[in-house]
Amino acid sequence: MEVMLSVEGLEKSFKHKKVLQQITFDVHKGEIMAILGPNGAGKSTTIRNIMGILYPDEGSIIFHHATGKEIPRHKIGYLPEERGLYKNVKVMDILLYLADLKDYPLKKARERAMAYLRKFDLEGKENVSVEELSKGMGQKVQFISSILHEPELLILDEPFSGLDPVSQDLFKEEIKNLAKSGTAILLSSHQMNLVEEMCDRLFMIQHGQKVIYGTLDDVKKQYANFKCTIRGRNERTVLEQLPGVERVEEREGLSILFLLKDVNPAAWLRNLPAELDIHELSIDRISLHEIFVDIAADKHLLTEGGQAHA
Amino acid sequence: MRNTMKVAKWEVKRNLKNKSFLIGMFLTPLLMLGGYFIFQWIGSTDVPDDDAAVLLVHDELGVFEQLEAIVAEQSLSLELEQSDLLESEAEEVLTDKENMAYMAIDKRILDNATVPVYTSEDMGEWFNYDIQALAEPIQQIRLAQLSLSEEELAMVTEGVQFEEHVEGTLDEGTANEEDTEAANILENLVPGIFAGIILLSIVFTGMMIFQSASQEKKDKIAEIILSSVKPEELMQGKIIGYFVLGIIQVAVFLALVMPVAVWKIDFPIIEYLLTPKLLLLLLIAVLGYLLFAAIFVGIGATMADISTAGNFQGMIMMLPFLPVLFIGPVIEDPSGFMAQLGSYIPFSAPGVLLLRLSFLETWPWMEIGIALLILAISVWFFMKMAGRIFKTGILMYGKNATPKEIWKWMFID
Repeated sequence: MEVMLSVEGLEKSFKHKKVLQQITFDVHKGEIMAILGPNGAGKSTTIRNIMGILYPDEGSIIFHHATGKEIPRHKIGYLPEERGLYKNVKVMDILLYLADLKDYPLKKARERAMAYLRKFDLEGKENVSVEELSKGMGQKVQFISSILHEPELLILDEPFSGLDPVSQDLFKEEIKNLAKSGTAILLSSHQMNLVEEMCDRLFMIQHGQKVIYGTLDDVKKQYANFKCTIRGRNERTVLEQLPGVERVEEREGLSILFLLKDVNPAAWLRNLPAELDIHELSIDRISLHEIFVDIAADKHLLTEGGQAHA
Repeated sequence: MRNTMKVAKWEVKRNLKNKSFLIGMFLTPLLMLGGYFIFQWIGSTDVPDDDAAVLLVHDELGVFEQLEAIVAEQSLSLELEQSDLLESEAEEVLTDKENMAYMAIDKRILDNATVPVYTSEDMGEWFNYDIQALAEPIQQIRLAQLSLSEEELAMVTEGVQFEEHVEGTLDEGTANEEDTEAANILENLVPGIFAGIILLSIVFTGMMIFQSASQEKKDKIAEIILSSVKPEELMQGKIIGYFVLGIIQVAVFLALVMPVAVWKIDFPIIEYLLTPKLLLLLLIAVLGYLLFAAIFVGIGATMADISTAGNFQGMIMMLPFLPVLFIGPVIEDPSGFMAQLGSYIPFSAPGVLLLRLSFLETWPWMEIGIALLILAISVWFFMKMAGRIFKTGILMYGKNATPKEIWKWMFID
């Protein structure tokens, strides 16, 4: 796939503290690449360096479709994490102004703005002042402003934060459609379920360093071992001694058995001792959410092929 | 530059669509005009001709014509009537009259310097002042009794006049040159006032830059804008945009006030205005604007809200008003030490220079040159510093920067 953006060896320090170390990844045309990590991990700093709002100490950011050293701002759509709009202006005015700053033809911008307002249930709001919009409506307008000029690269920093489920689905669909039509999308989010549903590849970051980087399938294969959840009264030591069990967690009457990477779930189930107290049992893969929480909590307990990941 | 102009255009458009800006723009000159007309109306109705007090003059010494001349010359609110009425009858005649008085001019003036005046019960409030003006010809009669020569008489009645000479501006004018002197004063004063209006107006709209920059932080839109334009472009766009708004304000002001001024004021304003000196005065005004715009945009980028301004920011916001301290000394002596000092301090220079050049007939070109150089270097320096503050400050949402942080952005980062 065609590479649109390359970040290579990005380093950044604030007050002698390294906040980014050797960050390297690519974003391809037509893919959704997720950048994940707990608060303060360095996601927004990475994005701000890409956008030229901050300047990296080391490393390079290459826009493969741009000529010259300048950031091709008019080819990039950007929705920052901390965002808002001018309050006392009309919706259409602000959309056209932002499109104009991207050198996008005004007539086309107006047509696309109307189409998107319709699509996002904001028909008839074009002449309404921004301050009269609800928070959700405002977020939709912000999202429209980031995609109105048909960007080749779309950078979305926490696009789903504060959205209701209906709007979340709307945004999700639109982001998928944009990717399908060839836009390269770099997206940061905390909502792992959404990321899991949407992204093609992911880059997970903690303390400014890479933790995981690869396609979603690879990551799942690599990191997402099986886990077995049992409701019942069983001795923790008994559970820990079962074959193929890497570790056990107990919470609210549930025992969660994390299995080793090469465990075959069917065979493992057959070999469970009959004397175990089982009221309920389920077996599934560790989710991206659990990997994320694990990293965020700095537990370093998950294994990659049975070895600590960090 | 294209992006700068787009930002500038947006700021102009946004404000011109803003009701409170529009109301302010039209209301100020209209209020001024309204105030002017109201005062004029009050002035003209306060002492109407109908209310002029009728003064019956019983003149035995033949000064009536002189008195009438004084009434006409000084537009006194008196209507003189020569009367044969005797003093003894006066009281009776005045009892049922309003705003009427009786004056007997006879030899008592010569004897004991008194002029009996009888008035009706209600008199206009200016009557007592007005009749004082009639004392001069009556006094002349007394002096004539002293058998003075004409020269002596002239000397006594001439009185003493104070003639002021200011060192450095001494220009030995004679009475014949009085007209040209007045014209010279107007020649400098009119462009000076004009440039002063422009400076004030653009500095006031310049203060809106401060609000615009801090609003950018409050509305959290800075990062979205900065994904399309560079911080310098955003800052310059704001400075240019508000400059244009200031000029529009001046234009509206002049369009409304100028016709009335030309109509009501009896000298050729336009002729005095359009002189080469105006260009220099305008340059001073523009440099002044750029200096304060840089300060406002920089400080605006450090604050989330004006209401949270600390002492530090508050003090800096007061800098454009520094010339106020110099107004007194500069008017008293436009070439004095304080005037020179004010010209060399960049924050007071624009105001002080405009004030001095409006009053000085001979311009001190050397001082102007040095002051302009200091001002221009300051503009360059403050723009650069404002750029550094703006770049970082504008993205610090919901938080005010401390002086220490601002210092760091300016000189260390």
